[in-house]
Parts: sequence; structure tokens; C-alpha cells
Amino acid sequence: MSNISSDDVRAEVKKFWDFLSRKLKSQFAEMYLSSASVFAADARRMEPARLMLVRRDRELLGPASFVATKLGSIDVQALGADLAIASYPFHLSITRTRASGKRYQSEVPHGRATQVFQRDEKGVLRIVHEHMSSAEPVSTKELPPTDPPKQV
Amino acid sequence: MKKISSEDVSNEVHRFWAILSGNLQVKLEEMYSPTAIVFTGKAKRSESAKLMAVRRSRHLPGSALSSRAEVGSIDVQIVGLDVAIAAYTYSFNTKKILADGGKVQINTSFGRATQIFQRGEDGVLRIVHEHLSAAAPPATEKTGE
Repeated sequence: MSNISSDDVRAEVKKFWDFLSRKLKSQFAEMYLSSASVFAADARRMEPARLMLVRRDRELLGPASFVATKLGSIDVQALGADLAIASYPFHLSITRTRASGKRYQSEVPHGRATQVFQRDEKGVLRIVHEHMSSAEPVSTKELPPTDPPKQV
Repeated sequence: MKKISSEDVSNEVHRFWAILSGNLQVKLEEMYSPTAIVFTGKAKRSESAKLMAVRRSRHLPGSALSSRAEVGSIDVQIVGLDVAIAAYTYSFNTKKILADGGKVQINTSFGRATQIFQRGEDGVLRIVHEHLSAAAPPATEKTGE
């Protein structure tokens, strides 16, 4: 079998951010293998993707939340027929809703992502490991209750 | 070819930190595949591991500067016959000599690492991709030593 193409991987990365920003919960969750592990940008420890999905669902995919991203150049390293690594910088603007109901707006101007994609048994590329981080401290501010999500 | 084991990968991770701490006199660049890409602690973009290893080697602690790394539990995912992902937390305390000759202590308490290893045709495990980050900015302080 031939190596995974860079274009296929780049298309998956774009789908990932598109699903997140359009709040397409089930499509977004299906991007991950059930065994996937994740370092979220603000987490001290790694966690199973299924736990991260519950939190992202609550904080980022609700009606009062908002996600916008600008992606930088995506490097792809193909590691055979079934595996490839995507790494890229990104600028992220998010409005998240905490369990308390309070909303917070964060800017991540220098985000960095590593996503390892593996083909599942049906040949679909899915994330088996993800590491998100920020090169600089993230600025976050609490929004007044009446503010609508910021549009970028 | 010998299948990768979690133990092989964990051993390589510990070797990496032993080199970085100055406890093992092996060239850092030998840990990396020639085409490896890395995200280092504060870099805004990824870069070639070769470049990073040369730069990092210049700052590796000599006998006068002590460094200490503590690696947490290493999660190893074997994702093929010859590829494995190591993900773990770490703390790293090191000293750096400034341009004015002063020394600064840098403590990274909440480091997070992803290192993807691939076994080469020569049977050696090398890092093909690395992402190091910290959940909190490292603490720095000038030292009088």
C-alpha cells in the first residue's frame, strides 16, 4: 500500500477545525480513534480523547461558545501506509462557557499542534494522538453575561 | 525486524533526558532521524531537529552546571511494526550562563512531551517528531554561584 498523501492529511486537519468551529459534535468526535490520547493546550496531564471530548462539548460546542482559527503551514510526515503526523502553528480565538455558566474569551496567537493520524479498519484517517500547546501564555478575560460571542 | 516494545521506547526516553541533563556523553543529534521535526518549549514554529540539536548541544550542561530531569509515567502507544508514540510529563531544572557571565536557574515544573519513535533500517529507534511544551511558564531566577 502507498504512503498516506500529504493532501489527505491536510484535508483532515482542515475538517477538524471546520467541525469544531461549526460545532458539529458527532463529526468532531469521530475524528478520534477510541484509544486516542490528548495533551490539551491548558492541561498539565495527558488524558483520553473521550474525556477531552466531554469537556470540549460542554465548553466549546454550546450555543454561547465560539471558536475561530487561522491555520499556518501544515507539515506532514508520512510514516508508511497507515500513519502520518501533521504539525502546524495556528491562531485561535475562543469563547468558552464553564460549568458555572460564566463565559471566558481567550486568544491563542501562537498555538502549536501535533496530530498523529492513523487509518482505521475502514481506511478512514483518524487521530490517535494530539498535542496542542501555546508558545506564549494565553490571555483570557471573563465576559459580561450579556455579551454575545465575539465574531472574528 | 524486531517489533518495538514499550520498554524499548521508555529506555530511549530516559536516554534522551540523560543526554539533556549532561549525564550521558552521547551526541543529542544521534537521537533523531535526519528528517525529524520538533516543536521546542517556546518556539512559535516547528523546526528541523538537526538545527535544534546543534543549538541545544551548545547549551548542554558541563560539569560546572548541574541539571536534573524527572520523567513521569511514560505512556507508549505502539502504532505499527516500527513506530511508537511516547507521551509523558516531566520536570527539568537547569542552569544557563548569560552573556554577562551570570547564571540563571530555569525550572520547568509542568513539562509535557510527545516523542514519536521509528525504528530505522539499521534497527535503531530514533525520534521522527517531538513536541515539548509546558502547562505553566518556566520559573527563572538569577543565581550567585
